Amino acid sequence: MQTENKTSPYYRTKLRGLYTTAKADAEAECSILRRALDKIAEIKSLLEERRIAARMAGVYSDNDPPRKTMRRGVLMTLLQQSAMTLPLWIGKPGESPPPLCGAIPASSDYVAKQGDKVAARVKAVDGDEQWILAEVVSYNHSTNKYEVDDIDEEGKERHTLSRRRIIPLPQWEANPETDPEALFSKDQLVLALYPQTTCFYRALIHTPPHRPQDDYSVLFEDTSYADGYSPPLNVAQRYVVACKENKKK
Amino acid sequence: MADPAAQSSAQPRLQQAQSSGPTGSNSNPGAGSSDPARPGLSQQQWSSQKKAQVRSFPRAKKLEKLGVFSSCKANDACKCNGWKNPNPPTAARMELQQQAASLTETCRSCGHSLAEHVSHLENVSEEEINRLLGMVVDVENLFMSVHKEEDTDTKQVYFYLFKLLRKCILQMGKPVVEGSLGSPPFEKPNIEQGVLNFVQYKFSHLAPKERQTMYELSKMFLLCLNYWKLETPSQFRQRAQKEDAAAYKVDYTRWLCYCHVPQSNDSLPRYETCQVFGRSLLKSIFTVTRRQLLEKFRVEKDKLPPEKRTLILTHFPKFLSMLEEEIYGENSPIWEADFTMPASEGTQLGHQTVLSPVSISGSPHSKGSSASALGVTGLDVASSEPTIGEKRKLPEALTLEDAKRIRVMGDIPMELVNEVMKTITDPAAMLGPETSLLSANAARDETARLEERRGIIEFHVIGNSLSQKSNKKILMWLVGLQNVFSHQLPRMPKEYITRLVFDPKHKTLALIKDGRVIGGICFRMFPTQGFTEIVFCAVTSNEQVKGYGTHLMNHLKEYHIKHGILYFLTYADEYAIGYFKKQGFSKDIKVPKSRYLGYIKDYEGATLMECELNPRIPYTELSHIIKRQKEIIKKLIERKQNQIRKVYPGLTCFKEGVRQIPVESIPGIRETGWKPSAKEKSKELKDPDLLYNMLKNLLAQIKTHPDAWPFMEPVKKSEAPDYYEVIRFPIDLKTMTERLKNRYYVTKKLFIADLQRVITNCREYNPPDSEYCKSANTLEKFFYFKLKEAGLIDK
Repeated sequence: MQTENKTSPYYRTKLRGLYTTAKADAEAECSILRRALDKIAEIKSLLEERRIAARMAGVYSDNDPPRKTMRRGVLMTLLQQSAMTLPLWIGKPGESPPPLCGAIPASSDYVAKQGDKVAARVKAVDGDEQWILAEVVSYNHSTNKYEVDDIDEEGKERHTLSRRRIIPLPQWEANPETDPEALFSKDQLVLALYPQTTCFYRALIHTPPHRPQDDYSVLFEDTSYADGYSPPLNVAQRYVVACKENKKK
Repeated sequence: MADPAAQSSAQPRLQQAQSSGPTGSNSNPGAGSSDPARPGLSQQQWSSQKKAQVRSFPRAKKLEKLGVFSSCKANDACKCNGWKNPNPPTAARMELQQQAASLTETCRSCGHSLAEHVSHLENVSEEEINRLLGMVVDVENLFMSVHKEEDTDTKQVYFYLFKLLRKCILQMGKPVVEGSLGSPPFEKPNIEQGVLNFVQYKFSHLAPKERQTMYELSKMFLLCLNYWKLETPSQFRQRAQKEDAAAYKVDYTRWLCYCHVPQSNDSLPRYETCQVFGRSLLKSIFTVTRRQLLEKFRVEKDKLPPEKRTLILTHFPKFLSMLEEEIYGENSPIWEADFTMPASEGTQLGHQTVLSPVSISGSPHSKGSSASALGVTGLDVASSEPTIGEKRKLPEALTLEDAKRIRVMGDIPMELVNEVMKTITDPAAMLGPETSLLSANAARDETARLEERRGIIEFHVIGNSLSQKSNKKILMWLVGLQNVFSHQLPRMPKEYITRLVFDPKHKTLALIKDGRVIGGICFRMFPTQGFTEIVFCAVTSNEQVKGYGTHLMNHLKEYHIKHGILYFLTYADEYAIGYFKKQGFSKDIKVPKSRYLGYIKDYEGATLMECELNPRIPYTELSHIIKRQKEIIKKLIERKQNQIRKVYPGLTCFKEGVRQIPVESIPGIRETGWKPSAKEKSKELKDPDLLYNMLKNLLAQIKTHPDAWPFMEPVKKSEAPDYYEVIRFPIDLKTMTERLKNRYYVTKKLFIADLQRVITNCREYNPPDSEYCKSANTLEKFFYFKLKEAGLIDK
């Protein structure tokens, strides 16, 4: 090998050629993968459309039964599944993650689509305000109000809420390895879905995810613990959103 | 000669000392006892024979014998402590034939006469003389034992006892073993208590007959142990830890002094091994003793009476293995000082009583047949019982044998079921039973069961104990439980939770995930009252709605079935009622108030709920089994459909104005195997006497039901002044009896209508949560059950 220290112009050209081909191949593979991802997204959105259509028509399949008849345990598993299948944002080099990727909020004029999952601030029965997991039914552009269904009590409780009471959930997972800026950082105040419930509560980020499939570890505000916070609990990226309010208490 | 220790470890140490060769006149004539349960008896017999012989000596001869062990009283200076015959008997001459020495004969060592040695016995009663003589025989015995014994430790003890008895003869005292040995009992509870507790603990759920068998085995084991010769400390040392060996030596010495030697030397106070020793001795000796016992039984199996042979050869080894788990297992309840016997069975063991009161509460399934069916496999079921605090083994799914056992008449053939079972468990058939985990109809506990099988979660019954040191892990878990309970039950004072979780009478079924407690059910068993109180029940909030609560309760149910308690009681607060209902609890309390009043913790504003357990249900597998059964039925329907697939033209008769046709006249219906309800037809009783007798019988049963009391007689106006204004058609069981006598009930319809009116009247007049309505609910269920049973209705 030592003897080849001096590369002849022939080999230099040849090497350049190989690099060019390899680069082109990689780019081609990359675009194929992207197209595949787009296809998957398309399929998912078609499925979602169908689901919404079926729901509107009041037709349910065995895989997606009406929530009313669903045992809570099944609903919880569905929610976990939905968090696990949230697509990972794969940006082109130099491209920064879009709104609704990880911790990046939606643009101020964003309107959530029908069927989108959101955190919704509703008045609970006892008069307290509560952030719940809900699904968008419609948006009225003239009144600027959303109609949402409580994910838990579908159809039973429809809420009409102003824009500022709605926080859309992320639609892509941010990759901690490539886009760490799109993640909440340690000690940041967030709203996170308490495990095995359908409610969001204020929490501090304990540790952000390290790998794409990792969850956040968060500390929920909980007065029943001596230091005011629960022990660290895991919450998927899907169910962690920015908390706009300041600490009131 | 071989090393005695090695030699005796290879063979049972039965009468090792005695059988080591005849020595002089004391050689043991009864070395080979044929009764395996009483290995030490022969020497004892021999010794008492000898004593009887000596006691029948003439007085002079007795005095001579005692003189040998009596100090000379000629003057203070004489230190002679025993008269020695100047003409020592030759070895060949038997003592029996020897002439009594004269009182004047002088001592070979001090020269004073025999009379000088026995002067203190002059006015002593014959009884006392005989007592002293008994000691003399024992001293001679011990002398030989000291001589023959090769084990140093044993020899020392023999020698000590020898000296002790000698001194007692000299001083005419009573022998008391002194020193650091302490006095019996050495440990509580003793072995006997522990073993009897064990039988209660493990077998009280069995049918009386099987229970009796276990009881006999335990008695036999205790008897063997009482007469068993323990291994010497030096043998023990070879296989045990140093500290253990020191403790064992103490126990061994105690055993020699209080149990073993007194067996053949009855002037020493005698105690039974099983009554003065406890778990620690049993721990030291059990493994070796078990091996020796089984070996001995194996060798002597031909000598065993045939009726005992199976008992000993098949059941005894299992019995011992189960006992072993309790001896060496941590936290075994049988050694707790406050172990209580399960409901009233404690006194029943010796006899053949039919059923425990727990199961005679009028529930339809507690009839003898089910109990005995369970007993067949009882031993196997119980032997898989894990030691408390250790990982629970997965309960086996219902096997086909089990299914066979409970088969009913007219059931589909087993071969067909087997065939269908094969297809649904065959992965190639694409119908694995665990496919629809996500579907809305997956069983609530499916995920939890799967997680347990994969080792993600574990279930342990743990508790604090004051009588023995709890292991650190268990204490950590108890703290974990206390934390879970106090976080999930914020209305309970933390101190109160702590007190109960750490109370040794309370136990907790803990749910462990990743080594941490994530939930549990704290309970207190009241075996004497036949129920268990559920005290706290919680799963940590972030692990809820995963089916853990259901799986916890199912484990608790199985645990209680194993321990023979079939009722749960609990005071549920408003949030808990829903959970308990899902777990099969009801507000309808069948346990009589007297059984729980004063036992259960009463909470204000909470509702008492009860759950009755069915010992035939494998609760943790129940939803799985039902799911399988559904699959089987689905498959069977599919098969049937394939067999008789045929499309018939539609019926036209209705168009032609026919309003109703019998079902069986529809083409194809009969071909499916459908039959008109035969019961309906045949039970329409034509014979009035038959109906009369049936109803009479039924009414009698209803009247004896414990909840029938409010309905026995017409309501008195003095007790409920407005009753007859509210209730237009009063009826009661007495009136019904009269109507029956008067042959008013010519059809069953009339009878059922009156019965139903008893209930509806009650509900109309009384508030729904009143005592009366509760009774009405129970009675209604009861008589509908009875009506169904009698075939008077089908539903």
